[in-house]
Amino acid sequence: MSTALLTRPRLPRPALAPRRGRVAAIACATVAALNAASWSFITPPFQSTDEPSHFAYVEQLASEGRVPSSDSEVFSSREALVLRALRWAAVKRKPENRTIASAGEQRTLEADLASGAGGTRGPAGAGVAASQPPLYYALETIPYWLGSGGGVLAQLQLMRLLSAMVAGATALFAFLFLREALPAAPWAWVVGGLAVALMPLLASSSGAVNPDAMLFAVSAASFYCIARAFRRGLTPRLAVAIGALIAIGSLTKITFAGLIPGVLLGLIWLTARRWRSLGRAALRELGLALAAACSPLCAYVVLNLISGRAALGLASGIFAFASRPSLGGELSYIWQLYLPRLPGMSRDFTDISPIRNLWFDGLVGQYGWADTFFPGWAYDVALVPAGLLAALCLRSLVGRLRALRARAPELGVYLAMSVGLLLVIGVGSYSTFPQLAAGFAEPRYLLPLLPLMGAAIALAARAGGRRWGPVVGALIVVMFVAYDLVSQLQVIARYYG
Amino acid sequence: MRSVRIALAAGLALTALGIGVLLSRSPPVVAGTGTVRQEKRFASSPGGASVCQAGERLPAGTSALRLALAAILGPAVTVEVLEGDRLLTRGERGAGWGGGAVTVHVKPLARTRSAVTVCFAFAGEHERVSLLGEETPASLAASTPQGVLPGRIRIEYLRPGGSSWWSLAAQVARHMGLGRAWAGTWIALLVLSLTAASATLALWLGVRELR
Repeated sequence: MSTALLTRPRLPRPALAPRRGRVAAIACATVAALNAASWSFITPPFQSTDEPSHFAYVEQLASEGRVPSSDSEVFSSREALVLRALRWAAVKRKPENRTIASAGEQRTLEADLASGAGGTRGPAGAGVAASQPPLYYALETIPYWLGSGGGVLAQLQLMRLLSAMVAGATALFAFLFLREALPAAPWAWVVGGLAVALMPLLASSSGAVNPDAMLFAVSAASFYCIARAFRRGLTPRLAVAIGALIAIGSLTKITFAGLIPGVLLGLIWLTARRWRSLGRAALRELGLALAAACSPLCAYVVLNLISGRAALGLASGIFAFASRPSLGGELSYIWQLYLPRLPGMSRDFTDISPIRNLWFDGLVGQYGWADTFFPGWAYDVALVPAGLLAALCLRSLVGRLRALRARAPELGVYLAMSVGLLLVIGVGSYSTFPQLAAGFAEPRYLLPLLPLMGAAIALAARAGGRRWGPVVGALIVVMFVAYDLVSQLQVIARYYG
Repeated sequence: MRSVRIALAAGLALTALGIGVLLSRSPPVVAGTGTVRQEKRFASSPGGASVCQAGERLPAGTSALRLALAAILGPAVTVEVLEGDRLLTRGERGAGWGGGAVTVHVKPLARTRSAVTVCFAFAGEHERVSLLGEETPASLAASTPQGVLPGRIRIEYLRPGGSSWWSLAAQVARHMGLGRAWAGTWIALLVLSLTAASATLALWLGVRELR
């Protein structure tokens, strides 16, 4: 019965499901936005990875009207003043140190802010953010302007709140993806959607000034549009939306490049499917999508070339992949970054397991400047619910093998999007190897795949069947509520305890 | 569905109980530090290392040592505290830590020991670990089997504090309100409200849709 429902490309109870879905979608988005807003107040100013660099980018864009030209970490005098007054350097990556803790330090901060409010701003760099495309930063100039009367800290908080709202969009699109991908069980959408909305790493990353917040939302929207196109067909409007998402994602963060081949593969497959009935006319939607994707990107490339930068910024470095001295070594490294080493591969990670230590432990809990962890035993305990969820998901999938086979092309597209993202992360990480193992590889980089995580959790709940599935789902929801609360407490203890 | 409500209520009760137990515990406090005050990078070690540092003092009740080691993804670290050749206590931290310090739990001792040697070791070929502390004369410096290092590492000795998190709640709330654009304890209340609203909405949605 359930297999048949999964394969049938229509919503059950069509009169009721969309309305129910709408309320639940909005509620999931609100949960995510509120949660990220809470995290935006929990994490001390600038104590999120690379936040000073991202703030500096916005500041230069707002004050000078151009993208930063220097990756120096010498920030503007007004930002540097606040960082100094907050003892930022003493707290960053030093879990033994707390943020300012006395009224005296607060008075010093306020005096410094007052004295530096009208200070000079440049010359300044934007650190690691300098090579990123400008779209997210351009949006952040709005709260930057709105908070300009309140100084750097007010601007930063308003910018964080904008990111938090974008987290709502991430959860919304993840929910809509589930609605398209798993149409047979509306209650399971809620389980997956809430799991995404309450994911602490999403909330902490989106409760900060970081283009990742928008990357997650655009990626989730891409998954949604692809799923919708597979289920309902590639309409002109959907084709333009997919193309626009490619452009928006590319102008948001370099990492989005990893998803593009998978999205293009999806477009090509959908076009081929329509070719049988429409012939050449099927190419129209593909053309629309490509035009929507390329127009803003071309403008960005031209702007880059005019300002003397590489055509695609840091993305240009990705295409040096093929020209590196040891392609085999690079592929072996990337393989070992995600999977167990195969016989014949050199041992690139000798005393750490990237799967466990980097990805699993990091996704379970790594906050701030990647310096705030749970006690070691907590990660061992987390293996139990994670293992249970994986087993339930597997059980659900095994019970739907026929449906999976019928949807193999769609699943292949999701796989291609995932592999592309993993490759981009791996290539970036290899650039620091062998000086560093697992450099430039952070768990939050996997969050563009959140819709798939939501689907896995929804499937895990469905393993309980129609009778026990909602109960399993309720337990999963309450587990994510608890997980989020404990994560918040851990961060509060680290910075304010 | 009644069973969904029961599951949610049971899960919530368990969560409240767990958080209550967590908050009734005491946060660790620094029982002592060595003589090193600075945290400057004075050595780094790709390929693993075994380092011993003499002239340390191990306060009574120390339950963890915080070593100023920096890594992106740190390898497993073992620590031994020796008095002469005699092993007083030891501990181990698994791989995966990061930042500028690693905390290694050890078995507490009943009384303070002076003039102990702290030895720590880690493996790894490409996992670069930096030693943070200050440069010292060779006679005071930490050493490896290969020779004397240029300085001493900063070590903090931690033991459980006397106050529970519950009793520190007001102090933590005040602390959260500092260093902000609009400073004040209201920040903690706002965080509480936002989190409560988010959790309540999630649970309401669960009750409404899971049936």
